[in-house]
Amino acid sequence: MHIVVCVKQVHDPEVAPALFTINEATNAVVSVAGLAQVISPYDEQAIEAALRMKDKKPDTKITVLTIGAASAREVLKHALSMGADEAILVNISAGVLLDSYATAKFLHEAVNKIGSFDLILAGRQSADLDAGVVGNGLAELLHIPAITFAKRIEVVESKVVVDRVVDNGSEKIETTLPALITVSNEIGAARKPNLRETMRASRKPTQSWTQADLSKEPMEATEELIKLFIPKKEKHCEFLAGTSAAEQASLLVRKLRDARLI
Amino acid sequence: MDFELSSEQQAFRDAAKAFAREEMMPRAREWDEKSIFPVEQLRAAAALGFGGIYVKEDVGGSALSRLDAAIIFEALAQGCTSTAAYISIHNMAAWMIDTFGNDEVRKRFLPKLCTMEHFASYCLTEPGAGSDAASLRTSARREGDHYVLNGEKAFISGGGASDIYVCMVRTGEPGPRGISCIVVEKGTKGLSFGAQEQKLGWKSQPTSAVIFNDCRVPAANLIGAEGQGFRIAMAGLDGGRLNIGACSLGGAQFCLDRTIEYMRERKQFGTRLADFQALQFRVADFATELESARLLLWAAAQKVGDKAPNATRMAAMAKRRATDVGFDVVNGCLQLHGGYGYLRDHPIERVLRDVRVHQILEGTNEIMRVIIAREMLAN
Repeated sequence: MHIVVCVKQVHDPEVAPALFTINEATNAVVSVAGLAQVISPYDEQAIEAALRMKDKKPDTKITVLTIGAASAREVLKHALSMGADEAILVNISAGVLLDSYATAKFLHEAVNKIGSFDLILAGRQSADLDAGVVGNGLAELLHIPAITFAKRIEVVESKVVVDRVVDNGSEKIETTLPALITVSNEIGAARKPNLRETMRASRKPTQSWTQADLSKEPMEATEELIKLFIPKKEKHCEFLAGTSAAEQASLLVRKLRDARLI
Repeated sequence: MDFELSSEQQAFRDAAKAFAREEMMPRAREWDEKSIFPVEQLRAAAALGFGGIYVKEDVGGSALSRLDAAIIFEALAQGCTSTAAYISIHNMAAWMIDTFGNDEVRKRFLPKLCTMEHFASYCLTEPGAGSDAASLRTSARREGDHYVLNGEKAFISGGGASDIYVCMVRTGEPGPRGISCIVVEKGTKGLSFGAQEQKLGWKSQPTSAVIFNDCRVPAANLIGAEGQGFRIAMAGLDGGRLNIGACSLGGAQFCLDRTIEYMRERKQFGTRLADFQALQFRVADFATELESARLLLWAAAQKVGDKAPNATRMAAMAKRRATDVGFDVVNGCLQLHGGYGYLRDHPIERVLRDVRVHQILEGTNEIMRVIIAREMLAN
């Protein structure tokens, strides 16, 4: 079985918000020391899901695919250190912002170039922009079924059975291969790379493609990012009028209703 | 000469730092206060490859270099210096079996050591043979397919808890040439342990005497040939000294990082400590001393890995320097914390107690000077 896992490099979502600044002229996050670039955690869990399938069927091949600047190689290396077999970087210039559609189209071209596959996995959404549509977009372009928010994946012969997270529970869905599945955090923690796999990672095949290797059509964003900004948090303190607790309570309820908080 | 770490070495360091931060640091105080040997976390460390860092791959090791190991131990020691130091001793013992044992012995002992299902101890020192290790008296008399061991080993890290004891014993003439190296398994009849020693630091690892009383050990457990034991013990110590030095650097770096944070917050006389020039100079000196000790240690690790002719001297220099600097920096960081540094609420006093012994074991720092001077003066 051949599993392709799509991953994205993001600014470390765990760093202190104080380290984030945005250049409003370019609508880009300003890189400062201490602001690490990491694999999007949902995508890391998608690799984990693929590795669990490989643990059961060792002849499974896992290819990790990313679109990004040269720095995204680090993300691929991390995936290879976890146990993926090979990696492909579709190299675009640093600072180019792709929207979800352009990303899906790019991935579509790359998957076509890879050729045969049985399963495509991706995180349920990226940890930076949180759009959560690239996976479905890619499945649509490939004309294959998509199942989102997987918390458990099992391949049974030519079918895949997925436990999918829904509000207040989960549902079990089965589909034929090839298929695309987006992985949710409920799948569980991703394994940590061990020393031996980390050593092996640098010897595993890594390819670097450019846009010219994929398509002659320019892959431009169809969306325009008008403004990227860090919302200002403001705190206002308001004392409730009224002379009794009951009066103040009903006033509080009214205010909360007006603010649509209850 | 390239002073940059490779991307793999950076990945090893990041992995060890993350493990130290997530698994060791939050528990280190409890391990110290209750003298807990953290079996579960040690096995978790081994799952990442830290149980056999420079053991060959065919028996489950990670097959990394001495320099890689030094980088890893420094990072681990930032989480819990005492536990990192035990992991380093386990690695040293495993390496001795891997390097000098025959294939049968390697395959019998090493897979479980690399996963830390089994723990290892290194047994050289005796009550009457410390710095003068070649005068050891634990005897091993050959009887058919067995050696019969009698004697006592002192200050054994892992004593009582370990499953595998890599022991230096006398099989022949007095002096270094009469010493052999043999593995004694826990549960062997005639093997017993003294009471747990009460120590200043290193409390997350047990320490006891290891006692042999007509202890019959299969001759197949011999590591290397008869009479090779002292050479094996010293070869193990070259690497062990690097590891212990790295643990001192890690403990000191941890304290320095915390001290810098503290100096940015703490105000006296209306001024942050970070703004007093006298204290700035202290921090500058600490960082400079640490960096120079680290560079020497890395150079020595390269030499030991390459089996360079001056490897033993370089390892001795690096151990002496890193453990002295390590202690002095931790002590200085404690001073900059004032009264708080003396309290258990801050981890610095624990690291101080842990790194103190690094100046004594794996050869005292006085013996390090003997080794260095002996080579330089060719006496």
